Amino acid sequence: MASVHKIIVIVGFISLFHSAFSAAQHRSYLRISSQEFTTLPLDIIIQAVSSLFAVMWGVLNVSGKLREIPAAAELNTVKWETQRNLPSFYIFNHRGRALADDFVPTPSKGELENLE
Amino acid sequence: MSSTKAKDQKPEPVVYSEAALRNNAVVVEYCRTSMAALSGSTAGILGLTGLNGFAFYVFAVVSLWAMFLIKAGPNWHKYYVSRQSVLTNGFFGALFTYVLFWTFIYGMVHVY
Amino acid sequence: MAELLLDPKIRLWVFLPIVIITFLVGIVRHYVSIILSSQKKIEIIQVQDSQVMIRARLLRENGKYLPRQSFAMRRHWFNNEDTGYFKVQKRAAASQNPMTDPGMMTDMLKGNVTNVLPMIVIGGWINWMFSGFLTTKVPFPLTLRFKPMLQRGVELAYLDASWVSSASWYFLNVFGLRTIYTLVLGENNAADQSKVMQEQMSGAAMAMPPDPKAAFKAEWEALEITEHRWALATAEADLLVNEAKEQ
Repeated sequence: MASVHKIIVIVGFISLFHSAFSAAQHRSYLRISSQEFTTLPLDIIIQAVSSLFAVMWGVLNVSGKLREIPAAAELNTVKWETQRNLPSFYIFNHRGRALADDFVPTPSKGELENLE
Repeated sequence: MSSTKAKDQKPEPVVYSEAALRNNAVVVEYCRTSMAALSGSTAGILGLTGLNGFAFYVFAVVSLWAMFLIKAGPNWHKYYVSRQSVLTNGFFGALFTYVLFWTFIYGMVHVY
Repeated sequence: MAELLLDPKIRLWVFLPIVIITFLVGIVRHYVSIILSSQKKIEIIQVQDSQVMIRARLLRENGKYLPRQSFAMRRHWFNNEDTGYFKVQKRAAASQNPMTDPGMMTDMLKGNVTNVLPMIVIGGWINWMFSGFLTTKVPFPLTLRFKPMLQRGVELAYLDASWVSSASWYFLNVFGLRTIYTLVLGENNAADQSKVMQEQMSGAAMAMPPDPKAAFKAEWEALEITEHRWALATAEADLLVNEAKEQ
């Protein structure tokens, strides 16, 4: 789906560039034939405006999804398994720490004094 | 959940997810900047001058707004806090981009 | 006012290059600032300190839901004269003045180098290289007040105010392309934002008070004077009363 919109954006850009070149061409033609510029030919106008709308629509869809803002909308998608994952209650500094390979017991103040 | 920071409870019981709000604001801002650049280029191609160009900007802003509403569908409440803010936010910030691109493409196409 | 006719070569060799140069310089500046910016390194000891502070605060505030023995055990771990965490850990007092902090100084210098210096250098270069061209015409009428702003380097008294000189075109680009940078480099900005959110998630931990020693002292005192009053002592009686009421 997204790739379709990307193609729309690319085609729209090319079309917009093409209309720009057409307009420049028209302008130089007018200058050579020394006519006064009033408006562009209708086909260039139509091409430019329609490609503008195509690109805008494409960009709108490429730019990303809108997320639902009520907080409940996201809570509804939370799985039951992750419901128990509460980061505020994480504790790493518990006695299970002593089971780790690289555990070094913190020396207490009394021991430090005994060393000296 | 800690991943969504909910705002404090207002008198009305609607709680918005901060992350989603920010995400939507980023999307709107992205589209708005693109729209300003693109419509500026188009205005330059068409060779609009003076007030016509600014009218074209207003036209582009309104049509982008309409596109947002179409994209959101009938229940836009789920995505925006208010519809008006989508229309008016960053109106003048994008205007500068618009004028720059307008001048640029107008110069490229029509001046020389 | 007769319309001026500009040489199309000015378009190709002045007008367009200025836009491209400005844009690319902006992109390069963005990446250079990424390279130069030093990641704020968080030392493990800092994280540990802040987590301990959070735990101590939680214990003070919510300790009433713990049985007396558990509360005393936890407080003992923090406050014991011999082995308590707040007593054993020795932290050096951090320096307060940011000006004396060399990291801070280099950060400020880097900000200047990446923001101001390219502006001056490229601006000067463009002024020298493309000086004296009229590049374009703004498509809307302007008053004479805009003349000095838009026609820098071209001092013609009778020129219409809507013509733009090359130097001014450069400055217009510098200011106007900012929003385009956010558009083009958008992914990166988004990444930064998610990083910020991650930090918020991993606890308010990073916001460690600058002076851990004083913070420890304060927390130790606060914990010492905390009185344990078990909130659940009458839980069973309360429950029964409520049940009786409801029936």
